[in-house]
Amino acid sequence: MSSAAPHDAAAALDGGMVAAPGRPMVRLEGIVKGYGDGATRVEVLRDLDLEVGEGELVAVVGPSGVGKSTLLHLIGLLDRPETGRVELAGEDVGGLDGERRARLRNSMIGFVFQHHYLLDELDARDNVALPLRIAGAAARRARARAAELLEAVGLKQRSRHFPDQLSGGEQQRVAVARALAANPRLLLADEPTGNLDLASSEQVFSLVRELHLKAGLTSIIVTHNEPLARRCDRVFRLAPRGERSEYVREI
Amino acid sequence: MRAELHLARRYLIGLRRRTHVATVTLISLAGLALGVLALVVTLALLEGFQSSIRADLVQRGVHARVAPAEGRRLEDPGRLVSVLQAALPDVSIFEVVRGTCLVASSTDAVPASVIGRSDIAAAAVDRTLAARLGVGAGDDVQVISPRTRLTPMGPLPVRIEVPVEQVRAPAPGAEQGSLRLPLAVAQRLLWGRPVVEAVELRDPADPWRLAARVRRAVAGVVPGVEVESLEQLHRPLLLALSLERAMIFLAVGLMLVVAALNLLCNVAMIAAEKRKDLAVLAGIGLGPHAQRRLFLLLGLGIGVTGSLLGAGLGTALSMVLDATGAFPLPRHVFAVSSVPFRVAPLTVGVVVAVALTLAAAATWLPSRLVARREPAEGLRYE
Repeated sequence: MSSAAPHDAAAALDGGMVAAPGRPMVRLEGIVKGYGDGATRVEVLRDLDLEVGEGELVAVVGPSGVGKSTLLHLIGLLDRPETGRVELAGEDVGGLDGERRARLRNSMIGFVFQHHYLLDELDARDNVALPLRIAGAAARRARARAAELLEAVGLKQRSRHFPDQLSGGEQQRVAVARALAANPRLLLADEPTGNLDLASSEQVFSLVRELHLKAGLTSIIVTHNEPLARRCDRVFRLAPRGERSEYVREI
Repeated sequence: MRAELHLARRYLIGLRRRTHVATVTLISLAGLALGVLALVVTLALLEGFQSSIRADLVQRGVHARVAPAEGRRLEDPGRLVSVLQAALPDVSIFEVVRGTCLVASSTDAVPASVIGRSDIAAAAVDRTLAARLGVGAGDDVQVISPRTRLTPMGPLPVRIEVPVEQVRAPAPGAEQGSLRLPLAVAQRLLWGRPVVEAVELRDPADPWRLAARVRRAVAGVVPGVEVESLEQLHRPLLLALSLERAMIFLAVGLMLVVAALNLLCNVAMIAAEKRKDLAVLAGIGLGPHAQRRLFLLLGLGIGVTGSLLGAGLGTALSMVLDATGAFPLPRHVFAVSSVPFRVAPLTVGVVVAVALTLAAAATWLPSRLVARREPAEGLRYE
């Protein structure tokens, strides 16, 4: 089933929408998540169901404040739902403790955040090598892998530059390289082009899509950019309270 | 662990890129270094004075004493001395009597310790007694014993007049003035016959272990005697010195507690500053335990640097102050010519260990709070 994913994704390059998911890589059931208590409580996600097939490139769209980042944090094990079930690759991850969740994030999930979130104290190479260092890899091996990835994202010459010496687009490309350092199966990107100009947005999105296809990843991208969302396999529209969140054919 | 170490190192080195955090970190580091420096210098000063007192004890005091287990006089002092001389040929052995008498000059009379010992050839008073009586070498003093003798006028205290041949430094820790007399004179004064109360021994080569050798020598050979060691003979003084050291350590050590609290604030500030970084690190797989280790390493990094800096500077300063005699002392009051500083490596080690323990304790709380956060919190509030 999973082997079909790259073909589906390739079909999506022309902007078509793929309806049929592969074997579920991500499965959310009856998710409820809110913030605050009592009168100040805001319920962001209510009875949310979502399934993303292995190898799919899914865009999550929706108005601001509807819970797109929260959804990504729940899928990426950065947060816990109040109720509901989160499955990754068929495993219920709801009951895992902090350490096991961290290990899963390290080995299985790659994150690209809206604001690149590179560590200021590390140069581009060390930022990219970090997930491997956390996984216990030796510095030399981690840096070699980081150099490969920086070359893949076109930043080989900038590997010893610190984040504040890179442009916004370059920083985001470093973040993409970092997300892929530990060979994850799932790539989560939270508005990766949100702070970039048109040309940089196109460059970063194309890079994400290319790496998604090359590495056979399952990718979920939160975006406000409708043209980019249309180039994904499927689009999941996260609706405000009272409306149903679902996959859509048209945005 | 390697990743946390790498990150902690980069954070500390990279602090220069964040001026306000770097400033607070430098203040924490300086606070800890100053605390350690103050403690090292203070303890070196204390050790300097105390070691001169201990050296004085060893140089002029008795190193072991054999006394009757019951009663005030030895039954057969001659045999005891023979046994000791045979067993310990390299040790000085003296027969002794001690008591308290009234010592009078032409101007005053004060109670004083009277010591009669077989190695004393002429009467000597210590500086305390000499000052109270207003006498010096060449003057005569009257010594009035509590022992009485019957006279036609009834019982009268035994009294003798002795010429003072020498004025000596007072014995370490002695509060009362003392008069040293030849054994025979003291025996006549205190007992009226050749009684020996104790045998005292000196072995400058190995004073602290002499008592053990003496115990082995008399065991089963001379019954009914007790052996007191150097520590036992000077227990009040040595206890006072230990207590003084402990109290000074605690008092000056409070500076380290203040420095550690400052470090706690500093690490908490770094934790707040790095909230986003921590969320990102959690996102890429740094678990709660590793996050806690990272902050402990940060605190310990500051702690180790500050402690070693303080210990190094404190040791160097103490050595310079001692070598240059920076604080002279009046020679007629003190046994040393300048304030002595003596750095004991073990003491420095203990100070550094305490500083590091406090630094680790100060870092523990913020590191624990950091590890408890859900990673998404740090991202949500950015």
